Amino acid sequence: MATRDELSEFLASVERRAFKQAQFATRDVDAALDIVQDAMIKLSESYGDRPVAEFPLLFTRILQNVIHDHFRRQKVRSTWVTLFSALTPKDDDSADPLETLEALAGSDGAESAADKVERAQVIAIIEEEVARLPARQREAFLMRYWQEMDVAETAAAMGCSEGSVKTHCSRATATLAKALSARGIRL
Amino acid sequence: MKQDEFGYRIRQALNEGLERLDYRTSFRLQQARQAALARHSSAQPEVGWVPAAQTAGGPRASAGLGSWLGRLGLAAPVLALAIGFFGIYQYQESRRISELADMDFAVLLDEVPLSTYADKGFGAMLSQDASEF
Repeated sequence: MATRDELSEFLASVERRAFKQAQFATRDVDAALDIVQDAMIKLSESYGDRPVAEFPLLFTRILQNVIHDHFRRQKVRSTWVTLFSALTPKDDDSADPLETLEALAGSDGAESAADKVERAQVIAIIEEEVARLPARQREAFLMRYWQEMDVAETAAAMGCSEGSVKTHCSRATATLAKALSARGIRL
Repeated sequence: MKQDEFGYRIRQALNEGLERLDYRTSFRLQQARQAALARHSSAQPEVGWVPAAQTAGGPRASAGLGSWLGRLGLAAPVLALAIGFFGIYQYQESRRISELADMDFAVLLDEVPLSTYADKGFGAMLSQDASEF
């Protein structure tokens, strides 16, 4: 049974990586922070008394579920927004599509790319390309190579077969290598 | 092997990225961790039953006069409650008796409206009263 200190130590060791994973998925810092907080609270409330050895897999699964819930909620919200925007008159020209593009250009990736330090630039580009991977490929790739989970653990966390994990990882690696190479980055 | 090596290099880069998180994000993550730990089962306060005398009588419970006052402090609300219940019972009884007396007077003085005799409930009450006698 894990003590409060052990749980604290575990959360401190994974919180940054969990945040980055959520950020890769959502591309939104605030949403990623909310997701990490939800996942931490769920682990603490529902599985806080489990052995420490079970925490990594449990937390990974919870985090993935919270990310998926976020997208489900976003989908429902966008459905309602689309519905109501279809009902409202379209004489409002205040919404400038360029604002959206500017906001995207001002995101973390672009800021980091503007950094003078070469390494920071490389890291930012890698993070950007990881975020661009299809969701399932990214999940499999990050669990296997970043969280150092084996194929069976990754399959269990993702709720798919081990063969699917290998396929996702292989495709993710190929896509990432091609994208980084196209941007002039050699690892 | 090549795939593993590529994965390892990406991991190194991503780990370096973790060290570059800004202060605001790190602080928010720390707050999130504290919020989660506050919900851990070990953080819940122990709930136990404490006899009222221990809190009402408190430390004075061992002293002579203090002990007596402590017991009185416990007994007084119970006594007040019992007196209250008795008072309510007496009031309800006297009200019921006076209502019945009013009705009897009305019958005896022939002041009851005719429609009352047609009422089934009134007939049932009269027959019930007659059976009691």
